[in-house]
Amino acid sequence: MNNNLSDVEQRVKRYWYTDGIGELIGGGIFILLGIYFAAQQYLGENSLVGGLLQAGLVILLIGGMAIGRWLIKALKSRLTYPRTGYVEYRVDRESTNKRRIVVAVVAALVAAFSMVFAQRIASFLNLTLALTGILVGVILSFLQGRGSGLERFYVMGAISIVLGIVLSLSRLPDGYGLGLFYSLMGFSFIVSGGLTLRRYLQENPLPAEAERQNG
Amino acid sequence: MGNDLRALTELDRLIHEPARLLIVTILSTVESADFLFLQRETGLTKGNLSAHLSKLEEAGYVKIEKTFKGKLPLTVCKLAGAGRKALTQYRQQMQDFMTRTQ
Repeated sequence: MNNNLSDVEQRVKRYWYTDGIGELIGGGIFILLGIYFAAQQYLGENSLVGGLLQAGLVILLIGGMAIGRWLIKALKSRLTYPRTGYVEYRVDRESTNKRRIVVAVVAALVAAFSMVFAQRIASFLNLTLALTGILVGVILSFLQGRGSGLERFYVMGAISIVLGIVLSLSRLPDGYGLGLFYSLMGFSFIVSGGLTLRRYLQENPLPAEAERQNG
Repeated sequence: MGNDLRALTELDRLIHEPARLLIVTILSTVESADFLFLQRETGLTKGNLSAHLSKLEEAGYVKIEKTFKGKLPLTVCKLAGAGRKALTQYRQQMQDFMTRTQ
């Protein structure tokens, strides 16, 4: 009985990812990040614009996330809610804290690993890139994949790890390497989100107005 | 009547009904959900879902807000504190029953 109820709960939680809109917007943010890192490398830290870019990363991230969230809500209101219904999720503080702890532990392990082994492996691979790929991959697999039970997030996690390691061997400068990594990951997100959205729209045509009389 | 069976008679029958159990479980996972979402997730007809929601609202387990989105009516449902407590208690009772009878 409880197992069945847990299945229902997980299915309801998965509803957030049913349309792929989150991945499309997330992909866009990743591509912007990619452009940011590449531009920073191209302009150099000593130029005025390069310095401004460096100082603006936090603003870019916070602003990007706020605009992204607004865009997701707007798109869901137009595409998803009229087709399959509106849901507002609870902010589960306990699970949010657990997620934060997992991210912090992974980040700490990555930092410790890089400090211990940096000297030995820095000669043949770009450590920042490899670790970024692993970190993003772990977050995608363990938090998104395990939390939602959706296989596509495990695939994205694997792509991130492989991409991070492959690009780290390319000997590209940090900025270009990170730029390429985030751009390719963003592209992967957009492909995954786009395919999911296409399937969702095919499977869920807009109901006639009479059927949309919601209750 | 054995203790195990007596425990079953103490179950909250309002929630024990499968359709209502499903509705309450769905609502326990979210902050709120609209009628269309509940209908799709439960597979109930409009009339059936309305009837079950009314019973849950009467018992104070669910709060229902009727608004409009543009010209279309929008019914948003939310699990009340009493409903959440009843569901937790029901799950515990069922778990205990299953443990005792295994």
